[in-house]
Amino acid sequence: MSSEPAQQETKPLRLFFREAVARAVREEMARDPKVLLMGQDVGSFGGSYREFDGVYGEFGPDRVRDTPVAEPASVGIAAGVAAAGFRPLTVITYMDFLMLGFDALINYAAKLRYKSAGKLTAPMVVKTTAGAQGQGVAHSQCIEAWLISVPGLAVVAPSTPADAYGLMKSALRHDGPVVYMDHKKLFPTPGNLDREEHVVPFGKAAIRQEGTDVTLTCHSYMVRVALQAAEALAEEGISVEVIDLRSLAPLDIDTLVASVEKTGKLLTLEEGQVTCGVGVEVATRIFEAVGYRPWKRLGALPAPVSSNPVLEAECIPDAEQVIESIRVLVRG
Amino acid sequence: MFYQLTVPAAVPGVEEIRILEWHGEPGEAFESGDLIVELETHKAVVEVRAGQAGVLREIKAEEGDWAEIGVVLAMFADSADEAAPDGTAGDLTVEFEVT
Amino acid sequence: MNEAIDNLRAMLLIRAFEDCLAARKDHGFQLLSSGEEAVSVGLASALNEHDQLLTGGRSIGPALARGVKPERLMAELLARTGGVNRGRAGRGHFSDIDAGFFGAHAVVAGNITIAAGVALGRKLENHPGIVAILFGDGASAAGALYETLNIAALWKLPLLFVCNNNQLSVSTAREASNAAENISDIGGVFGMWTKSVDGLDLPAVSETARTAADYVRAGNGPAFIEFSSIRLRSHSTTARETRKRDELAALRLKCPIEREIRRLQDAGLLGQAQTEALRDEATQRAETAMQFADASPYPDPSEVLEHVV
Repeated sequence: MSSEPAQQETKPLRLFFREAVARAVREEMARDPKVLLMGQDVGSFGGSYREFDGVYGEFGPDRVRDTPVAEPASVGIAAGVAAAGFRPLTVITYMDFLMLGFDALINYAAKLRYKSAGKLTAPMVVKTTAGAQGQGVAHSQCIEAWLISVPGLAVVAPSTPADAYGLMKSALRHDGPVVYMDHKKLFPTPGNLDREEHVVPFGKAAIRQEGTDVTLTCHSYMVRVALQAAEALAEEGISVEVIDLRSLAPLDIDTLVASVEKTGKLLTLEEGQVTCGVGVEVATRIFEAVGYRPWKRLGALPAPVSSNPVLEAECIPDAEQVIESIRVLVRG
Repeated sequence: MFYQLTVPAAVPGVEEIRILEWHGEPGEAFESGDLIVELETHKAVVEVRAGQAGVLREIKAEEGDWAEIGVVLAMFADSADEAAPDGTAGDLTVEFEVT
Repeated sequence: MNEAIDNLRAMLLIRAFEDCLAARKDHGFQLLSSGEEAVSVGLASALNEHDQLLTGGRSIGPALARGVKPERLMAELLARTGGVNRGRAGRGHFSDIDAGFFGAHAVVAGNITIAAGVALGRKLENHPGIVAILFGDGASAAGALYETLNIAALWKLPLLFVCNNNQLSVSTAREASNAAENISDIGGVFGMWTKSVDGLDLPAVSETARTAADYVRAGNGPAFIEFSSIRLRSHSTTARETRKRDELAALRLKCPIEREIRRLQDAGLLGQAQTEALRDEATQRAETAMQFADASPYPDPSEVLEHVV
């Protein structure tokens, strides 16, 4: 049973985020009988965001398991079954709740290959959802920067349905633990996909818009904010190169370095905290290669993300702030 | 008079919908409250119902097509045989329900 | 008869091995299990070659009982490349799945969730083996245990929960850390077969472990057993002893190894000379293990970045 409606072959394949995820999961589950799906509401309900529509019906209760509200055990069981030879995809509804699963993910799965001298691995994917959308201080956080400092852990963050599909496929084939993060505000966005099966490899950024005056790095929902800002800046004659990191660990250093060598300036943009943030890592890695360049960073203000719409909007960067930061960078 | 049915901004954050199912064909008369079309968002189905009586004259988007907010999906008229105007038509009054 | 002697031999090996390790100045940070040998050996006697055992950080005794080679284990504990994991895992994290020891994970109760995952894999594969998870009374207060009990029961996982209740969580008495009358009662809430027995009585441990393992092996879902033991050393080799000398002296009289020797001798199954021979043999095996470890090199520093991703 397909979760996607029939579409004419002559038209581009256009899908919602959730449909792209479901397509990747269904293909990988069909390809590899070791792939499992588990988490809250992933069974007949089809996932909190309908991102697993049809998966339970196709693959059944052994391979698709609803878990109770028990994040530590859900992540731990995924790590254990991965160590025992399976490839579980475990779903943590909000990234904030992933903190409850850190022991198994960070202390066990990310270290298993190392501590067993390569004899054991934990090929597991934790799929979770980040970002501010009115849900308050413990349902809005972007904590990917915490995760990219963990040796042995891969972290990916798509901004389009095509990358959601391609990165999920890569994640389910990766021989170690992966955190795959979606953003709530991206779910309403459809996007085109290649009809042919394909993967998006880890460690490959995407240049969303070429430019010459400044490099703007971003990921997840902030890619849309960046593109909006870049469009406005083009009208002022400022050419922005927008790089969607896609894979935060590992980072695509070559693409980042080449861009900053060309533009000579850098703005790093993220929805999470700037302190020890993704942007700090991106900038540092670039400057280690090419030497220091003018750089600004944008991210959440150092405050919790409130469900209060006024405070939430104030906390999270928007296109206006991106535009202003780039004006300062480019024009001084 | 002619009226246009456009994609309503029914769900916050949604910029583009997919046409799920038409509930009528050109030439068919609609009473106020009749279901015209179901539109699909990332998580909901938007039922668009006529807010006034009229005759469906033309469907401009097929089931499975994508359309952004404000795009014209269909044309309605007060009667089945009146000629289309040269200029733009007014908006059809609709009600919608998100399920 | 032979099995009884083999089990005694296994307990003596654990004691001699740990004594030999503890005597080293460079023994590192270790959690030893003197007083808990009957739990390790009795549990291992109920497991077969298809089964896997996971533990917390007090892992040396259970691993030896399961059949991890003393030489490879000693080398692992002393950070040598001859260790089961090239010396990079250590006491808290080593594994030897070929020996049926899936591994230690020294985060108290976190290891229980991992074991349930291994058990899920067994169930999905219709594997003949079961999984046993050994944890202390300290873990009986942790949330991860309760989450795992619930899911293991819901999913009927082939998982045997084994609590080695050595009465102390570092310095906190068992009575102060868990409100249940018996720790095994916790499993009963989830419909499991449960039993609490004297963990110093090797035949009782073996029999209970076998009954529980058979129950799990038959596809009935998880079981929960508790063995009450004693800890004759401090929590770890770096933790100060919190008990008084006379208290410890009284505990030593309860030693499960000496108790088993008395039982076998009283039954006429073991002579004095044979007892001494078994003690010497255990000491010899521990020293051989230590010689192997000493002869094994440390890793080259360049190995630090190997097997990370």
